[in-house]
Amino acid sequence: MTILKKMKQKEKEMRLLILGLDNAGKTTILKRFNGEEVNTISPTLGFNIKTLEHRGYKLNFWDVGGQKSLRSFWRNYFESTDGLIWVVDSADKRRLEDCCRELHSLLAEEMLAGATLLVFANKQDLPGALTAEEIKDVMQLETIKTHHWRIIS
Amino acid sequence: MSCVRKSLKTPDALRSRQAEGCFVLPSEVTEEALAMKGSISPEEVLRLPRITENYLCAPDANVYEIDFTRFKIRDLETGTILFEIAKPPPTDSNSDLEDEPDHENEEVDPNAGRFVRYQFTPQFLKLKTVGATVEFTIGSKAVNNFRMIERHFFRDKLLKSFDFEFGFCIPNSKNTCEHIYEFPTLSPDLVREMIEHPFETRSDSFYFVDDRLIMHNKADYSYDGGI
Repeated sequence: MTILKKMKQKEKEMRLLILGLDNAGKTTILKRFNGEEVNTISPTLGFNIKTLEHRGYKLNFWDVGGQKSLRSFWRNYFESTDGLIWVVDSADKRRLEDCCRELHSLLAEEMLAGATLLVFANKQDLPGALTAEEIKDVMQLETIKTHHWRIIS
Repeated sequence: MSCVRKSLKTPDALRSRQAEGCFVLPSEVTEEALAMKGSISPEEVLRLPRITENYLCAPDANVYEIDFTRFKIRDLETGTILFEIAKPPPTDSNSDLEDEPDHENEEVDPNAGRFVRYQFTPQFLKLKTVGATVEFTIGSKAVNNFRMIERHFFRDKLLKSFDFEFGFCIPNSKNTCEHIYEFPTLSPDLVREMIEHPFETRSDSFYFVDDRLIMHNKADYSYDGGI
């Protein structure tokens, strides 16, 4: 709700798109953020939307499934996106390269040109997980000049 | 907030629109007039002054095989799930007939599955923040410009109106959407009336693809549980 209050006066609605490889934890993050139980989450085979309304402000989260077969549909959800939340499984080292490639190809998309990027280094509790700092290096976040970005864990 | 409808080509088209507080409508339209039309648009249902008596489209207007498989309402303050009804996954033998197994009706009602009855206690009307979830599946065809308009009335008074553009839906997908909203402030008199008159609080849910009505679901509500 504090995020809502921080929103600009004239922009009464904000659209946040949550993407990342499958099993990164996108739906879990979305549910956690909205105070829902996260014990029984199955792979998303479509989208999960949450719309929050507070004093005339609206925040819309779109979490779209990350399986390979679904990634070609991501572009259908780019329009009007204000913020992109890229979720990374910090312990899935085998696919970090994949993850990096997918993110950078998204950043080249014209329809996402105005979006701010938040990289979420998820699953920090798993053994062998890379730190946010390490993820930043592996994913070459410093090379991003086209978007405002930040990484959190 | 203005009542001006935006063209669907603007970037705002993918955003939700809320008709709440938007009472200066161009002109009212009657249900009877709409029922005669071959195709019904979002703008037209927004001009209906009251709840509909009948369904404004046939079940077979849903050529996209959009299927609602879960409805859930939760209280955000306590995290309590107040209502949940889910359709079991289809079985091989009689997948199409068994829409809502909880219904007591033995004969096959063509409108089963498009009506939900919610029974709450008076406490429900005191909630502050509520999350309402729908889960739906999409058939083998991709759906473009999927939009939902839901209007809640007590008698002829519009309590709440949702207008949300899902946009594109992936073929064979399962999707969820939760609207988290602050419960509208209702006067004590209105609350009393709503409790005393069960099922006079009703809602119409209209679903459009490319601005054509393809599904119409209804619900009614009581708030006198436990009294």
